[in-house]
Amino acid sequence: MNIFKGLINGMIAGATPILLAALGGTYTYYAGIFNIAMEGMMLAGAFGAVLGSYFFHSWLAGLLCAILGSTLLALIFILFAVVLKTDEFITGIALNLFAVGATTYLLRQIFAVKGAFSSPEILPIPRLHLAGLEKVPVLGEILSGQNLLVYLMLAALLLSVYVIFKTRFGLRLRAAGYNAPSLDSSGVRTAVIRVWALLICGVLCGLAGAYLSLGYVTLFSENMSAGRGWISLAAVILVNGNPWGIALISLLFGFTDGLGLWLQQSLPSQFTAMVPYLATLAALYFYSMRRKRLAR
Amino acid sequence: MSVPFLAMQEILKIFPPAVVALDRVSVEFRPGEIHAVVGENGAGKSTLMKVLYGLEAANSGQIQLRGQAVQFHSPGQAIAAGIGMVHQEILLVQEYRVWENIVLGLEPAGWFGRLDERQALRSVQQKIDEFHFNLDPLARVGEISVAARQKVEILKLLYRNVAVLILDEPTAVLTPQEIPQLFAELRRLRAGGKTILFISHHLEEVLELSDRITVLRKGRQVATLETSATNQAELSRLMIGRELARPPRPAAAPPGQPVLEVEGLSYRDGAGRLRLQDLSLQVRAGEIVGVAGVEGNGQFELVNVLMGLNPPESGRLLVQGHDLTRAEILERRRRIAFVSQDRGRLGAAVRATITENALMTHHRLNPRFTRWRGWRLEARAALQFARRIETQFGVSMASPEQPFQSLSGGNQQKVILGRELLLETPFLLLDQPTRGLDVGSMEYVHELILTLRAEQRAILLISADLEELFRLSDRIVVLHRGRLVADLPAVSASLEQVGALMLEGKEHPDGPQAD
Repeated sequence: MNIFKGLINGMIAGATPILLAALGGTYTYYAGIFNIAMEGMMLAGAFGAVLGSYFFHSWLAGLLCAILGSTLLALIFILFAVVLKTDEFITGIALNLFAVGATTYLLRQIFAVKGAFSSPEILPIPRLHLAGLEKVPVLGEILSGQNLLVYLMLAALLLSVYVIFKTRFGLRLRAAGYNAPSLDSSGVRTAVIRVWALLICGVLCGLAGAYLSLGYVTLFSENMSAGRGWISLAAVILVNGNPWGIALISLLFGFTDGLGLWLQQSLPSQFTAMVPYLATLAALYFYSMRRKRLAR
Repeated sequence: MSVPFLAMQEILKIFPPAVVALDRVSVEFRPGEIHAVVGENGAGKSTLMKVLYGLEAANSGQIQLRGQAVQFHSPGQAIAAGIGMVHQEILLVQEYRVWENIVLGLEPAGWFGRLDERQALRSVQQKIDEFHFNLDPLARVGEISVAARQKVEILKLLYRNVAVLILDEPTAVLTPQEIPQLFAELRRLRAGGKTILFISHHLEEVLELSDRITVLRKGRQVATLETSATNQAELSRLMIGRELARPPRPAAAPPGQPVLEVEGLSYRDGAGRLRLQDLSLQVRAGEIVGVAGVEGNGQFELVNVLMGLNPPESGRLLVQGHDLTRAEILERRRRIAFVSQDRGRLGAAVRATITENALMTHHRLNPRFTRWRGWRLEARAALQFARRIETQFGVSMASPEQPFQSLSGGNQQKVILGRELLLETPFLLLDQPTRGLDVGSMEYVHELILTLRAEQRAILLISADLEELFRLSDRIVVLHRGRLVADLPAVSASLEQVGALMLEGKEHPDGPQAD
């Protein structure tokens, strides 16, 4: 029972940052932006979260600074890829590299440490104990007592499904990706829609980053996003932007992430750390095989 | 009427550096009329409409709507003022349903920006009913015909309550059977008080549909006429500045040896569907064989298999006895000249210069154009070659170093024809060689094809234009669902006979049964 609970909680913990970032990526995916900067946005968010929480002694300030940090990257992306019309792929690569460099530099300048910074002054994002849910048999311990961001993630998932598929904004958002000239000729400026999509992506990646540095653990370490932004990109592309599919893949990734930790008892950690990425590659492989079969 | 409904006055448009696209053109449009704007390609029809619609800014001149001077900086402003345009290339979201496309940008919404689907559907259905458009608002745009998509474009403007509809060559994308329906719809719109501006270079259509006609030639307004007071001969004289030459077809010399031999050719596409089925065909020297068929019955696949873009499943392909069934494309190009229907995709690299496009294929087949075993281009020879095409085929260009896409459609096709004909191959594959060309250029291409026949070349001509096929071909073969269902001598075949074969794959019961 405890192993079961541990695996489930590990799965949720692993899935949360991936899903938050992937939901952000879903908006840009539908808006027709090839956005690979989730990795960098997440990292900037993680750094901003620690910075805000440490200096203001408030996890809420940490959350806001996380959003600020990743939105700053989103704004740079907007300036280059939307306004100046540079190549989205190159812009994304540049932003990801910039995020690693800038956060590492600031870590050393502000906190005078190398590698990682942790301090009791950093306040983590609290867990939420929901009185009603705690009493549910078996699942009570999983449903209640999760990190605030886990519940925010659920809300973001439901809200995104609604916004993308049921609202006026959603109709325009998807039109921007399907056929931008058509949207422009309908009197809606595609560029404006894309700016919004990137800003939303920035906010969600900020939350994902905050979860990494104030939820999962309470510290910032260099390059702590560790490829999760790329995994979230893979999740979005794998299921063609279907939010439910993205949730499923994020959970799968979270599960293998937890599995990796568990396997550390018997295998070197360098190998177990590969598990989630190997699982992603395997998923990509099976997915493309299935698509090939369907095309026949 | 003292104040004109919509007037364009002294519109001057210069494309830098010094191309005068519109030379002080003045036109008045009346409410509730169908006004055709005709002219050859490059005469300025589209530019004039784009200026009106706010897609291009005029250098000088004025637009007045109901006596008020207006100037649109974007199509959105034009639509808000009641002027909408349906473009040649249809701009719709294929993944969306019809109603979603129509309301996009002007959606009824409720709480929290929720799309009010019921309200949207009701408004769309109302417009469909009002003008008797036969259209299912719930159909997905990617799954409906091009004609239906055009209706969606028109409805999209009607939903925005425009008073003026500009249609840029609306019939170019339609099959002959679909055109009368469009015309009926346009007449209903006129009856509903809409003003329709109709760009075309098909004179029969213009004469049938319009109330008045404005003729442009080389950026100048030549005339604005009442349709009832003019005729085809006068219009074509105004358009091209000379009467159309329609000489009787020169009698064909008896054809010579078989050049193209296709035996039992079958082709299956990636999804496993049989697209060409046991196709056998011969084209002899000095003979033009026309391929008729409704689009999508195997013409595209036939071209791809002949050119080596797709491998056949079975069958043989011979040119002058050489087996090219599995040959490399370059090997084929020694014996097959090819004019593609899609100039921008297969026919040319539109962003490359005219010279580069003229030289393509030649630079691999003719050692004269390269040095160092083909690693370096002989620039001077290339330029001379482009000049030769310019003079020999009457291309009008500013410089051979200009990008290919700066040429008008007719001139682009002349460069491609020049390149292909100078390959001096025994066999020519012409896939819709006059598609999108104006009357003058079309005439030129037709004469060129007949000259080639006189030079004893073998020509396979694929065309959607039956008139063209009948005018040029010695024999007409009909493709239906990937099979050749008929092989008829053009002199004795009738238009009705070929039409029935195209549509049904067989002739009417009373006619002789063709296999």
